[in-house]
Amino acid sequence: MKALAVLVAALSLPAAEFRLAKPGYEYRFPQDHFAHPEFQTEWWYFTGNLSAASGRRFGFELTFFRHAVAPEAASASPWSVRDLWMAHAALSDIEKGRFLWRERINRTGPGLAGADAATGCVWNGNWQVCWRGERMQLEAVTEEFMLRLEVVPQKPPVIHGRDGTSRKGAGEGRASHYISFTRLSATGTLSYAGERFALAGTAWMDHEFFTNQLSDEQLGWDWFSIQLDNDTELMLVQIRRAGGAVDPFSHGTLVEVSGRSRHLEAGDFRLEPLTRWKSPATGALYPIRWRIQVPALELELEAATPLASQELAGSKVLLPSYWEGAMDYRGRLRGGPVTGRGYLEMTGYDRPVRLSPPPPAPGGRAASATPPD
Amino acid sequence: MKARALLFYRLLVRPMLAEPLRTALTLLAVALGVGVVVAIESAGRAAAGSFRSSLETVAGEADYEITAAGGLPEELLAKLARLPVPISLAPRVEGSGRLAATGTPVRLVGMDLIAEGGRAPVRGQELFEALREPHSIWCGRAVATQPGQTIRLVIHDVAREYTVRGLIEGAGLDSTLILDIGAAQEALRKPGRLDRIEVRLPESASPKVEARLREALPEGVLLRPAGARTEENRKMLAAFRWNLRVLSYIALIVGAFLIYNTIAISVLRRRAEIGLLRALGATRGQVGAAFLAESALFGALGAALGLLAGRLMAEGALRLMASTVDTLYATSSPAPLSFDAAIIGLAFAVGLLVAVASALAPAIEAARVAPVEALARGRYHWERRLAVRRNLVGTLALASAAGLASLGPPLGGKPVLGYLAAVLLIAAMALAMPALIDAVARLNLARLAGVETLIALRGLRASLGRSAVLAGALATAAAMVIAVGILIGSFRETVSLWLEQQLAADFYLQPEAATGAERDATLDPALAAELARLDEIAEVERFRAYDISFNGLPAYLAAVETDLARRWGKLRFLGGQDREAILERLGTGNYAIASEPFASKHGLRPGDILRLPLAGRAAEFELLGIYTDYSNERGYIVVDRDVLLGYLPDPAPTSLALYLQAGADRTSARAAIERACAGREVRLISNAELREEALRIFDRTFAITWALEAIALSVAVIGMAGALLALVIDRRRELALLRFLGAAGTQIRRLLVGEAAALGLLALVAGSALGLLLALILIFVINKQSFGWTIQLHWPAGLLAAALGLVYLATLLAALYPARLAQRLNPIEVIHEE
Repeated sequence: MKALAVLVAALSLPAAEFRLAKPGYEYRFPQDHFAHPEFQTEWWYFTGNLSAASGRRFGFELTFFRHAVAPEAASASPWSVRDLWMAHAALSDIEKGRFLWRERINRTGPGLAGADAATGCVWNGNWQVCWRGERMQLEAVTEEFMLRLEVVPQKPPVIHGRDGTSRKGAGEGRASHYISFTRLSATGTLSYAGERFALAGTAWMDHEFFTNQLSDEQLGWDWFSIQLDNDTELMLVQIRRAGGAVDPFSHGTLVEVSGRSRHLEAGDFRLEPLTRWKSPATGALYPIRWRIQVPALELELEAATPLASQELAGSKVLLPSYWEGAMDYRGRLRGGPVTGRGYLEMTGYDRPVRLSPPPPAPGGRAASATPPD
Repeated sequence: MKARALLFYRLLVRPMLAEPLRTALTLLAVALGVGVVVAIESAGRAAAGSFRSSLETVAGEADYEITAAGGLPEELLAKLARLPVPISLAPRVEGSGRLAATGTPVRLVGMDLIAEGGRAPVRGQELFEALREPHSIWCGRAVATQPGQTIRLVIHDVAREYTVRGLIEGAGLDSTLILDIGAAQEALRKPGRLDRIEVRLPESASPKVEARLREALPEGVLLRPAGARTEENRKMLAAFRWNLRVLSYIALIVGAFLIYNTIAISVLRRRAEIGLLRALGATRGQVGAAFLAESALFGALGAALGLLAGRLMAEGALRLMASTVDTLYATSSPAPLSFDAAIIGLAFAVGLLVAVASALAPAIEAARVAPVEALARGRYHWERRLAVRRNLVGTLALASAAGLASLGPPLGGKPVLGYLAAVLLIAAMALAMPALIDAVARLNLARLAGVETLIALRGLRASLGRSAVLAGALATAAAMVIAVGILIGSFRETVSLWLEQQLAADFYLQPEAATGAERDATLDPALAAELARLDEIAEVERFRAYDISFNGLPAYLAAVETDLARRWGKLRFLGGQDREAILERLGTGNYAIASEPFASKHGLRPGDILRLPLAGRAAEFELLGIYTDYSNERGYIVVDRDVLLGYLPDPAPTSLALYLQAGADRTSARAAIERACAGREVRLISNAELREEALRIFDRTFAITWALEAIALSVAVIGMAGALLALVIDRRRELALLRFLGAAGTQIRRLLVGEAAALGLLALVAGSALGLLLALILIFVINKQSFGWTIQLHWPAGLLAAALGLVYLATLLAALYPARLAQRLNPIEVIHEE
């Protein structure tokens, strides 16, 4: 459910030659943490809320994204493009109200980017995550900040959806294989603005691979990761349809203290926008305060962000705009108070997002893929 | 203030206006002198400015670049890309090619169009679509005019069609082609290799970042500031530019003689006026300043005109320079000529400086005029008495100083002392000139040459100061022509002999894409073996060269097949080193030989160790010998082919030398070779053609030198005309008197022409003697220190005789108009004036 999928749409070739995400996929770890080139698209998302010893709070996002433009490279040259690798690194400085982010795109080349089980790393230049046993080491170097984190899963990986597939639309293969680490304890250092912070907190990791998941009428989505203080986690995604309806393939997952997960259908929860923030960069109106209701769990939450401006205002070059930022949750669970933290991703607010490959019209391109200059 | 202005006007401006032709000639001389300086300076700047990496305008400026001779393995990029430091890396694969249709050389640049999406000329959707096509290019306006066009490009020895996906804009990008990096590697036959990695650091980067990067680099890889290559090219070009610049000042020096002459005449003529003014209370300072002001006016007006002339001449100069730079130094597309404040400042600075400096002596002379003396003595009887003998002592002193200076070493890499020696010699000649004229004029030639000549010679002697200056100017110009003529003639002869001796093969084969200075185009490696199988061919020798950087200067690293070089080649080593022994060792390991310009530029001697970063390894070669070579100023380091292949495994040769079987017919051999090369874009050049081509390039290189000489001579001839004109005006009374005494009009004319002839002859004789000495300095001091070439002295006698004859003729022609003027003098009118 990630924003970079929009780019995929712009670049997509007919997906027929790639494998579709279908029920019955057998997961094997750690291999399944790495690349699945037989699927066209794949991503690894790390987000998290961190605090320095002083209490100063930061949010971060580190994202790796692979998209195959062709099933086979055109030539033996490593520069021949089979996979494009994109990445985002973002830092939310909650206290100072600053949001910093960078994007990056590479081909596999002679080793510029990749996801390699042999070395245990997923990387794009000097942004990387490397598995060292169960632990993952994250590193992101930008001109403005350098983040080094070690994240340790507190629960086993969760496989979303049913029978190993997370359905996103009607029709065969409109689905993904979707794995999450919903509670990662994170420690590390941040060098930023001339200071060095020792950080600790909780992170979330999503890894998803698929070939052809969404349909035309789906305009955008709102994705929540919720890490509650009672050691349970919740993932909710609402797909918005043209005309404002909620797509029936919206869904969610509850992860219990034990690590056991429970699938939620669209009808199991309700997401209601409360306050909107207007992006000065794109003019998009993003709901940054929400009411979340999950009657089946007797859960009612209010979601609010400590920093309104966490929009990655897509550059003219590659990416559409989306909002992805740190969130605070507060509410009641089965009558008692509950709080939590997590992340929210919102897409399709500056313009409708087309999610399927563009029709091969002459000179035609996925009209919505590139924001206007 | 007003009085001073009036003085200036009355004393100086009015006479200037009264003799418009003479004033115009002096101005023209100054303007030409300044114009040449301006033209060479601005053309030189434009030619050197062109080395700036044209891509900077597209991709922004890098801070550092990573390079190694023979390129970098692309894995290095992947390794560096993962360094945890905030740098951005941009790989480059570069090479040259030609447009098949026109043969125009183009520069090919491979960049990572995906990673550099934001900086590349194309982006987004269009980029990805274009990348699916392997033959997509983006190019400047000289290559294509609109996207979608198909162009045929010759790269190495292959022609292929490319589709223009977009145009790139920017200064210096007209002949640049951008390809995606993989496509560039493939087209340029550099699989797995990068030529450079550009490094950009964030502004906030600490020095630690650079240190981390340096640490991560393997031995034999260079990290240097971006633009180092541009700097290297500029440095390489410096000697060429410096020498041209010095040559450009010759016309100005000749001009200086003429300004001196003009002002001296001015002072002379207005002696009585000066005396009067002094008697009326004008101070010495005022008088001197007035004459300096006159000269400054000449300087300023001349500089203004010179700027215009320079603008016109700069176009031509740039064309000539650019072709030389392309052929001998590095492919470049000249930057536009700019006439900015610096150039304008230069024009006025040199114009005024030369004018004021050359007027200093006459102005002081004018200031010294005592009112009584000037008023008391007859207007025409004063002539500056020259201390002929004292001057001869000065001549000797200057000449000895010149001799000493010519023995000195280069200063700061430039033959400063050599030029000093040349200037001292010119000064020595100028000082000796009065004595020379005096001596000649004393000869009793009346019986030999008639009474007109006698009177003419006496006239010269009577106005010794003035005629000496004139003769000095002409002699200087002639001397420079002779000196440069001898230099070029000797050089050409040396090169020609060398070519004859060196070019041992019957045919040479080059890739069509080969351009003048770069050595990056290669031939299909299979071709050598195919040609070797032909019946007509006895041997195929493969030669490979790389463009490298050595101690901050561009150079070539070349590989020869040592055993073939022993058998067929005719290398000659300096200092009588044994060719056989050197070549025998060369093939056995890390040994090198170097061409003479390379060795002298870097101060290398046999036995020295050359350290080269080769493809990410540090290699060391012992220098065995230095061989004579006139093919290139960059210079060659030559090693054995197999040894170099151990470092740089690319087997493709840069060129092939083909030796025919004894008795093989050249015509049928040529046909057979051409058949074998069918389908490949190659250039087959016969021995004779190559020799001709080399001499053609040689002549083109020196065209600009000849042009500078011609201008200096024109200035001298113009000066001669102006001075003779002054002579006629000044000697009206004397000439009229001669008429009264019975001289015919034609005799008067002959008298004038005779004076010019005598003066010209004297100047040419003196100039020839001076020229010979200057030639020695040019060849053995200035050339050797600037370029490092050993040149055998040859006398281009025919050429020099023709040049001098032409000058002489021009001098006589310059005398014709003044002579006619003199002939038409109405004696009655003139006497009446008295």
